[in-house]
Amino acid sequence: MAENNSAIATQTGLKRRQSVSYNWSKVFLGAILIAILSLAVMLLNVVNDSFGYAAIEYENDPSIYTMEPLANLDKSQLTALLAGNLSTYRWRTIQQNVVIGQLEVEDLRQMVVDELFKPTVVASYSLTSSVLKRGEVLQEIKSEYPEASVEFYRWLDLDFLTRSMSTAPENSGVRTAILGSLWIILVASLFAIPVGTGAAIYLEEYAHPGKFRKFIQGNIDNLAGVPSIIYGILGLAIFTRVLKPFTSGAVFGLEQSNGRTILSAGLTIGLLLLPVVIIITQEALRTVPNSLRQASYSVGATRWQTIWYHVLPSALPGILTGTILAISRGIGETAPLILVGASSFINKDPTGIFSNFTSLPLQIYYWTQRPQDQFRNTAAAAILVLLIMLLSLNAVAIILRNHFSRQVRA
Amino acid sequence: MSHISQFQAVQSGVDIRRKPRRTESLIHLVLLLCGLVSVVSTFSLVIVLGREAILFFKLPGVTLSGFLTGTTWLPSIGKYGVLPLITATLITTFFAILVALPLGLFAAIYLSEYASAKTRGVLKPMLEILAGIPSVVYGFFALTFMTPLLRIILGNDTVQVYNMLSAGLVMGIMILPLVCSMSEDALYAVPRSLRDAAYGLGATKAETIFHVVLPAALSGIIASVILAISRAIGETMIVAIAAGSGSSFTFNPLKAAETMTGYIARISGGDVAYDTPEYNAIFAIGSLLFIISLILNVISRRVVSHFREVYE
Amino acid sequence: MKTRTSIVIATIFIVSVILGACNPKSAASTDTPTIEPTISIDPFDPANQPGDIYAAGSSTVGPLSEAVAESFIADGFPGQIKNDIIGTGAGFKRFCGTGETDISNASRPIKESEIEACKQLTPGRDPIAFTVAIDGIAVVVSKENTFLTDVSREQLAHIFGDQNIIKWSDLDPTWPAEDIQRFTPGTDSGTFDYFVEEVIQKGLNVETSDEAKALALGVANIQFSEDDNVLVQGVEGSPYAIGYFGVAYYLNAEDKLTALSIDGTLPTQENAETGTYALARPLFIYSDAGILQSKPQVAAFIKYYLENVNKVVIKVGYFPAPQNELEASMQVLMDAIQ
Repeated sequence: MAENNSAIATQTGLKRRQSVSYNWSKVFLGAILIAILSLAVMLLNVVNDSFGYAAIEYENDPSIYTMEPLANLDKSQLTALLAGNLSTYRWRTIQQNVVIGQLEVEDLRQMVVDELFKPTVVASYSLTSSVLKRGEVLQEIKSEYPEASVEFYRWLDLDFLTRSMSTAPENSGVRTAILGSLWIILVASLFAIPVGTGAAIYLEEYAHPGKFRKFIQGNIDNLAGVPSIIYGILGLAIFTRVLKPFTSGAVFGLEQSNGRTILSAGLTIGLLLLPVVIIITQEALRTVPNSLRQASYSVGATRWQTIWYHVLPSALPGILTGTILAISRGIGETAPLILVGASSFINKDPTGIFSNFTSLPLQIYYWTQRPQDQFRNTAAAAILVLLIMLLSLNAVAIILRNHFSRQVRA
Repeated sequence: MSHISQFQAVQSGVDIRRKPRRTESLIHLVLLLCGLVSVVSTFSLVIVLGREAILFFKLPGVTLSGFLTGTTWLPSIGKYGVLPLITATLITTFFAILVALPLGLFAAIYLSEYASAKTRGVLKPMLEILAGIPSVVYGFFALTFMTPLLRIILGNDTVQVYNMLSAGLVMGIMILPLVCSMSEDALYAVPRSLRDAAYGLGATKAETIFHVVLPAALSGIIASVILAISRAIGETMIVAIAAGSGSSFTFNPLKAAETMTGYIARISGGDVAYDTPEYNAIFAIGSLLFIISLILNVISRRVVSHFREVYE
Repeated sequence: MKTRTSIVIATIFIVSVILGACNPKSAASTDTPTIEPTISIDPFDPANQPGDIYAAGSSTVGPLSEAVAESFIADGFPGQIKNDIIGTGAGFKRFCGTGETDISNASRPIKESEIEACKQLTPGRDPIAFTVAIDGIAVVVSKENTFLTDVSREQLAHIFGDQNIIKWSDLDPTWPAEDIQRFTPGTDSGTFDYFVEEVIQKGLNVETSDEAKALALGVANIQFSEDDNVLVQGVEGSPYAIGYFGVAYYLNAEDKLTALSIDGTLPTQENAETGTYALARPLFIYSDAGILQSKPQVAAFIKYYLENVNKVVIKVGYFPAPQNELEASMQVLMDAIQ
């Protein structure tokens, strides 16, 4: 019997085929490991550029202002230093933001450094070089920039989130960009979610199967595959140009002179997300068993009552997950916003839908274009902010989905 | 439903048929309008793109054949051959698919044929994260990591700072999850009985996969590839950051070249005033992109429906 | 279920309270300042200006305008300043074509056709130029380039305008037989227009600037961008690359780039001011009397610009305009406001 088996085995070449199969399984595993590895490398690359040693020099020589080291000066001397060397307007603005008399000595010293000496980052190093090649880095800084002080610089810190953008990378922040992104996605959601859910309900619950329904369905499927930059072209032509009186607020009496507003951007992104929302909602509605609907009809409910009180709540987990995924996609969109007219330098936070805007991915794009190493660091820090935002959104999606699906089952 | 209300009407003497219908019709109308927004969207796209594209082709010296076959793209001096942009798009797409197809397909095979539920529970979210990362982050990665890496491997002289290979490879990583998830759905849909029959005949796992499961899932896999191609063609940010600006007609992926989408992004970073050659050119290229993605998406859906029917 | 929902709500509430409390402005407003900020009666005081300012245009002048704008805001301007870097030509399209901008940044003088377009606006605009700085266009190569330190104007014209010159050795046999990788500003850029006129048109003896432009665009292996940062990155990348842009962009990347001397002169402040550097040119901002009168914040900003630009110009990377030019511009401003 054993001889027969091994004879069969040799005839069919079993050993070789099995080893081939084993090798292939390793290849398949390898493929997915490569994908995970790329993800890890990407994230590490970003983190690598966000923290590290920085060589900092003062723009203005401290001896111009005082020969004493700052530690020896008391509050009144420091205040006099500031008042005497800053322009009247600059000093006034500082006093409007902060009460000088109530500042601690340490804060006053920091203010003198920031406003008079003006520290600038002249060289920055990645995290890996700072950790692994520490000696070399410090040596290089000492030889190239003898006047510089060395600091472990966190490009992503609370200040980065609360500052507005600036021409100097060390003073730049993403506050305006984050607010812009949030405003835009708000407008986009207010448009895409109701309209998308409505369209999905229509297609799934109301429309008779036939040419008309196929036509609309086909339209939606096609729109879902259109590149995002085409939506940008559409947004430029319609919202920024043709509907300018409406989107710029002129119709409402505001003096904004162009259509490059949050309203245009939000509507463009909304149009982009609409097919995605519709398709996801449709799938969620399809998972609701027909028996539920039939049961509702059988007790005399109208179609809308059935949908509103039974179908929608049952499909809610899927719809919620889907809309949050759509929102994540919308936050990351960059190309359409370039076309609709974002600003590369803007100091004011958006105050309403008729404000000019910039967004977080756009800021990353502009900073990536700049060759100075320090802007690479700010771009990396901004990417971290964006990724954290998206991760939290997805986490919320998962929590909500679990919460609601448990509710439905209960 | 009507005879139930009649029954109730007989019972209580109140005719309840009319009232709900008016609100019902209103709601029906509102929902219909929601559905029509998508149709309006498509129409506006076609009109906006088409109108300006027609204006473009009316410009002196522009012909459809010249547009599609000319090899110089410099609208400001009247050269409107779109071929350099198309070749750049195709080359980056080629490298993207070169990465995404094998890796995505093999990853899908691993997930559906080999992985336990627990492993799948860990790996799938990671792939979803990969899919959810915005393209501008991939662009940053291409410029700050992939290009220097290629320059170390292949030499600083052969690889330019802006090049198509780097953008293409990173684009492949971005599309990989798409190919993987669609292929996995296709593989999952193949009935277990097919696999069992193959095992019953003594096939090894790899043989089952290659000779039985993959052919059965082929339509879904092809559809995923076509969709991936469509996605790669339409991708903007990665090429705008890493592939190059200023169109050049070259087949060398280590050199810089501008794709269709990259051109649109660059020009609109400037200003797009009405009636300049560049403005009209954007719409011509936009129309081309729209038509290409439309054709690819239709083909993809056809493949799925046609082959699936034959199989079942 | 209820406890979990309430925990979530409580966390959100606490987080928003913390975030709200971290707002520095709200911390200040709860205290009464002991030093009363003097409210000046200066009509050009940045803090007294209502409204917003919108500037757009040259990528050369852009960083300078941004630096001045930042300073203006730090000195008390409460409104919004928006600055778009889109190229001199595109900036004029917004200033004269659609009338959207209040100030147009320009690295070349305005063209006749653009002035005409401005007149067609309602209300019509009559562009006024203010010289704000001097720029030297730096012709740069990568630090790895070992064969080039000096070019003649004629060589420059051939490098950037001759379609027959593909490899470096085509122009000078002692140079390497490698393709020249060219990085230049695009057609919306004032730097491009200026270079085409000064170098290519004059160097190749071409009749019209349009012909020169066609030549400049038709050379092999060329990449354009309106964004000079993209060009810097490109030139840094290869020893066989060459490009040109405002000297500020070179100074910001000095460790990776080398500026060539043109006929022996380098783009330094001295050479630019005395006019010995071949490619020194003035940088402008344009506005219009109507805007200055109807939007006092724009007038205040331009006055601030002219008074304070020399404090930032070296840091940004350009050269200060001669004092008499700044004073002349200030006079033009004062006349326009009357």
